[in-house]
Amino acid sequence: MKLVCLGLNHETAPVEVRERFALSEKALDREVVSLLESKDIEEGVVLSTCNRTEYYAVVNGGSGVDELESWICEQREFHGPREGVFYFYEAREAAEHLCRVASGMNSMVLGETEIFGQVKKAYQRSLDGKATKGVLNRLFQRTFSVGKRVRNQTGIQEGATSVAGASVELAEKVFGRLKGSTVMVIGAGEMSRQTAQALQSRGASSVMVTNRSYDKAVELAESIGGHAVHFDSWETELKDVDVVIAATGAPHFVVKPGHVEAVRRKRKFRPLIMVDIAVPRDIDPEVGEIEEVYLYDIDTLQEMANEARKRREKQLLLCEEIIREEIDKAVLPAVND
Amino acid sequence: MAMEIGWIVIATILAAAGGVFGWRFHKGGQSRHLAFWGMAGAFACQLMALGWRGELRGQCPLSDIGEICLFLAWSLTFFYLVTGTTYRLSFLGVFTAPVVVILQGIALIPGSFDASPTQADTIDAWREAHAAFSVLSYGALALAAVAGVMFMILNRRLKRHDFKGGLVDGMPSVHRLVNAMARIALVGWIVLTIGVVSGGMMDGGKMIAHLLVATVTWVLYAVLLGVYFVRGLPGRQLAIGLIILFALSLIVFAKLG
Repeated sequence: MKLVCLGLNHETAPVEVRERFALSEKALDREVVSLLESKDIEEGVVLSTCNRTEYYAVVNGGSGVDELESWICEQREFHGPREGVFYFYEAREAAEHLCRVASGMNSMVLGETEIFGQVKKAYQRSLDGKATKGVLNRLFQRTFSVGKRVRNQTGIQEGATSVAGASVELAEKVFGRLKGSTVMVIGAGEMSRQTAQALQSRGASSVMVTNRSYDKAVELAESIGGHAVHFDSWETELKDVDVVIAATGAPHFVVKPGHVEAVRRKRKFRPLIMVDIAVPRDIDPEVGEIEEVYLYDIDTLQEMANEARKRREKQLLLCEEIIREEIDKAVLPAVND
Repeated sequence: MAMEIGWIVIATILAAAGGVFGWRFHKGGQSRHLAFWGMAGAFACQLMALGWRGELRGQCPLSDIGEICLFLAWSLTFFYLVTGTTYRLSFLGVFTAPVVVILQGIALIPGSFDASPTQADTIDAWREAHAAFSVLSYGALALAAVAGVMFMILNRRLKRHDFKGGLVDGMPSVHRLVNAMARIALVGWIVLTIGVVSGGMMDGGKMIAHLLVATVTWVLYAVLLGVYFVRGLPGRQLAIGLIILFALSLIVFAKLG
């Protein structure tokens, strides 16, 4: 009896290969059943996310990884070159790999938390389908406690690693909770959408979108549950706003000191955070000289994201230590016996 | 060693420990409750010392530099404990604790306490109330100034995009600090109002100069807070106003002796 892990991810396979192996919710149920019907496989869990597809299986004696790999490729009708596309781990290495995956150490965005839930879901699906027994049940339970320990005892998830996340972090530094705050988005591009959605996810209740093309403003506003404002009236709306995100394609400054000066009294000098993610910049740097204005441009946000990534990378050794320690003290059949 | 000195020494150690615990909490290594309990322990010891001095004097112990510093440290700690819970500004402790330690350090300098205080023959209740409420209000106003200093540090770093070192991570938000400054100063001003009114009711004499300074201080705080609550004021200006007003009034009172 042997624990094996076979998979591919964003580091080993290009998107056109990954999408061939990616499985929908329904397909995953079928895949688990089919896996168990194949020769010599006693237990199985299949994990499929946008960046990885992995098979965790307990195989009996003779069955090797080549057979599993061939079976998977056959199922997915993949006939391309396999060299370097798949990775394979067994016994302890497989267990450690699963812990790394669940802890976000193996993710495209180091330390991301979504993967933990995805691993849990994958395990639950197999558990419900009676596809797991003594080995995988113990392994996954141990993995979840390792994931929690890594999250609580290291800084692997600290700091924002994206421009949108860094914007949220700064807004929270100024306002604390964003619940009930009002956001104005100037420009209707993808970055505007991402940043506005990140702020909404942290409690921003009202989002107004303004754009030279009113139709685009309406389109973005509708898609994120906000409301559109005509471009010639955004200045007056500024009095109610807490966070401004500027991301237009304009070749000149759109927001100038005069715009903010005009509404300072009406705002009772409340703090105003302005995030300029446009290149060329949309907000005149002199706006940042106004006392209650906190202005950040794309360079600052990128720098924050890079710093957070570096801090997370520094935590990897500590995470590895936790994983080793937890696997050492666990009694996991087919892993450390 | 006099009884009060022993209590003040313990209070100083506990306040210093509260500051260290607070700092370590914000560095991620200690329970936040330790900072609170350090300051709470200091508060209890300050009460014991003040109680002892009160017994000796037979009146509110605010007659020498040691007693004034101790009373100020006590009121500062009192408002810290109240405010710390309400606004969850435990990081305020990191800034408050050193001020408490300094005040108590001054009280511990030999000669700060009158070694053989005279028992009061008669007690003017208004005068006692004036002195007690005025010093109590200074605890709140000192805390508002401490919050102002915190705001200035945070504001400077946020404006300069300086996020290194972790201090910004441990601090309350700008919004919360501005609210805290205004509300604590308002509480201090209300208490000072009681102090000033009590002063107006007391018998004349040598407290007139103190009352005059307290009244001017009261007016200046009223103007600052009035402008903030009615018209609005940028956080930085409010912080500067609170720091300058507190420092000025403290200097003037120190000169008056």
